[in-house]
Amino acid sequence: MIGPLLNCRASSIGGSPQRAVTCDRDVMPSLQRYLRSIYRVGFRAWWRQLNYIGDAKSGRFVGADQFGNKYFENYNAEEEVPGRQRWVDLAQHHYHASQVPPEWHSWISHIRKDPPTEDPVMQASKQPWQLPWTENLTGTRGAYRPYNTAAPKIKAWEPASAPRA
Amino acid sequence: MPVIPPRLVVPVGLLRTLAQPQPRPLITISRRLQSTHAHSRSTNTPNYLESADGLISDLTLRKHRKELTPRKFDADGNEVDPYKGGPSAIDKAVHIFFFTEIIRGMWIVLEQYFRPPYTIMYPFEKGPLSPRFRGEHALRRYPSGEERCIACKLCEAICPAQAITIESEARLDGSRRTTKYDIDMTKCIYCGFCQEACPVDAIVETQNQEFSTETREELLYNKEKLLANGDRAEAEIAANLRSDHVYR
Repeated sequence: MIGPLLNCRASSIGGSPQRAVTCDRDVMPSLQRYLRSIYRVGFRAWWRQLNYIGDAKSGRFVGADQFGNKYFENYNAEEEVPGRQRWVDLAQHHYHASQVPPEWHSWISHIRKDPPTEDPVMQASKQPWQLPWTENLTGTRGAYRPYNTAAPKIKAWEPASAPRA
Repeated sequence: MPVIPPRLVVPVGLLRTLAQPQPRPLITISRRLQSTHAHSRSTNTPNYLESADGLISDLTLRKHRKELTPRKFDADGNEVDPYKGGPSAIDKAVHIFFFTEIIRGMWIVLEQYFRPPYTIMYPFEKGPLSPRFRGEHALRRYPSGEERCIACKLCEAICPAQAITIESEARLDGSRRTTKYDIDMTKCIYCGFCQEACPVDAIVETQNQEFSTETREELLYNKEKLLANGDRAEAEIAANLRSDHVYR
């Protein structure tokens, strides 16, 4: 049951008959992974990760969007658990999930396999009349306020008297 | 000042024990010396498993489970210690008196601190979504920039929550278009019937689920807002429809 989740595999390496099945929980040396990630990204990026993601992560730089958000992925099963293999380094300090534009949103939500910089379908779907993406502006002056798009059906009576002769 | 009688100074139980000493049977003591067990048991254990009618109740098994422990004897009749290969008393004493269980538990906690959690750190990592995911609504345009909606009101008719309101007029070029396309997102149940009913793929539900608002009125979407949603997310919508069209 938990075997495929943890990427368990039968191993006879080491010749220990008591432990025939090794899982990633055993294989993945967490402290080693943590230190390895720090070694790869450097102390400055590690400090930034601690302030935002809260974990030391290292992986392949996939691309950046028009807002400066950087996207990474790491599909090494011994370093990242499923579900945490793609992540974004948001540019703004006051980060919000809606700061990811829709093209990259479909990549980071695992909807599409390839990032929009390499995806031919996504590039062909882009239209010249598209508006630039804005994040969720609720609570700011740019928030949406509803209004009526149709002409009003009821008009106030404006009394008009015929001119007297 | 009254004098305390001497019989109250000595504890009563101790006095009674000294007065009437229980005679210990000599056989028990000798068996205890021979056996490696600290406690002494009779060698002839009654077999509780065999009743007269051949039926065994769980209560009987539970009551006599200590008696059912198999005892082994060697050729000389001495009881064999089943714990011979186990940890020695010194090992046990070390683990007990040096609190090694606490230290081992703390080591597990330290390991868990550096273990990557399965928690998805949400704004930076997102869980997988389907291309059919039904989120915020959007009105789409044709690649020429012409809006798709032809005001057929099928979505308004099928909407189970009656969240859609449509009014239409003929445009100057004679084509029928909506003048009002309102969706009350507080009524909407995100069932996706509107995008199923739409003959021209005009109303769709995008993959955006991060449109929460601070006020209620911001969720009363009008046509301009829906068109702007579509204009911003057109690439993602078209790619999702393309990846899903073979299953429709």
